[in-house]
Amino acid sequence: MKELDVRGLSCPMPLMHTKKAIEDDPTEVLVHADSGTAKANVVAFLHDAGYTVTVDESGDEYRIRGAR
Amino acid sequence: MVERRVIGPTAWFLGGAGLFIGAVAAWLVSQGNPGNMGLCIACFLRDITGFFAGGVTGQGAVAYIRPEIIGIILGAMGAALFTREFRPRGGSQPLVRFVLGFIFMAGALIFLGCTVRAWLRLGGGDLTAIWGVLGIVAGVLVGIVFLKKGFNLGRAKAVAKPLGWVLPVFAVVLLVFAIIAEYGTAPGWTMSTAAGEGPGALSAALFMSLIAGLAIGVVAQRSRFCSIGGIRDAVLVKRYDLLFGVIGLLVGATVVNLVLGQYNLGFVDQPVAHNDALGSFAAMTVATFAAMLLGGCPFRQVIMGAEGDADSTTAVAGMLVGAGFMHWAGLASTPKGLAPAAWPALAVMAAVVLAIAWYGTRKTA
Repeated sequence: MKELDVRGLSCPMPLMHTKKAIEDDPTEVLVHADSGTAKANVVAFLHDAGYTVTVDESGDEYRIRGAR
Repeated sequence: MVERRVIGPTAWFLGGAGLFIGAVAAWLVSQGNPGNMGLCIACFLRDITGFFAGGVTGQGAVAYIRPEIIGIILGAMGAALFTREFRPRGGSQPLVRFVLGFIFMAGALIFLGCTVRAWLRLGGGDLTAIWGVLGIVAGVLVGIVFLKKGFNLGRAKAVAKPLGWVLPVFAVVLLVFAIIAEYGTAPGWTMSTAAGEGPGALSAALFMSLIAGLAIGVVAQRSRFCSIGGIRDAVLVKRYDLLFGVIGLLVGATVVNLVLGQYNLGFVDQPVAHNDALGSFAAMTVATFAAMLLGGCPFRQVIMGAEGDADSTTAVAGMLVGAGFMHWAGLASTPKGLAPAAWPALAVMAAVVLAIAWYGTRKTA
């Protein structure tokens, strides 16, 4: 599983990191984000790449899990 | 890498958001706002600076508290609170962000419009805006070079809660002053453009602008509309959804301007614009480059400030101060063209943005 932390990063870094993380086609990816925009962008991006996405919100963090 | 959709379902949402914002902006012109200036983050922040400091900065022609800005901030704040996305955060090089905001504004006031108004000018048939739009593309491409090299101003973190409320509180203060100026007597040290004295006197009715701003703020917060991010994402990550935002903006403004008989195709006699091609291109390149390093256009900075992002609020503060400086120093353009010292000022600012980009890249390399 690929895990990455995009908390506190300005646009477009969350997307750039996510794109890089799925380059070698992991079956599971976990992204830690903390802004609504980063969450929305990462979720949409993973969807577009064919992942099934679930988001857990705990405290100030979104844990975005993509699986396929 | 596996196949990835490059246009996803959010493209429809962003396109719709852009259509709405462009249409409302064009409609605001029919209600009294200056030509092709139904919405302009740079111009409107500049007018607000004029209201408070116009006597010092010589902004007699551009002094008015634009209620659209108040509405956008409060609308975005409401949407963020409702969706639990309001989060006080900051601490990612605030001073650098202030400087980038300052420079963004400086470039916008040399072009005569921000990255939102560039598209709206085009949507009104103003072909001189093409030079500005080409500058946006160039600024995005230069920014991408540094982003690819690892440019990063550092991570924002949670900050003391009151810091997240600075921009919304500022909006409420603005609302109080706007109401006093409209229905009572504003303090003598403030300034409001007198009728016929400049674009600051042209506006839709206060509550019309306010309600339009509220709606735009909600739509922008939910859609994440950005006037430069679409081109950036398309080139950088091959994702085209955000690009539909500016396409929608252009289409919405064009259609409503045509319907309302406000469409004036050509290079001459365009409202609040000049036809200095090279100056427009260079000014928007520098401004967009600065916005790229901030992580979003000035519209996004206002929206994020309304979501509790203290760094974006600092960038907006830089824009407000930058506007005052540009008028005080006589560097802002007029419809006649660029100010004599605009080119040296642009050169200095380009050097500063490049230095910031280099610093932010070296630090993380």
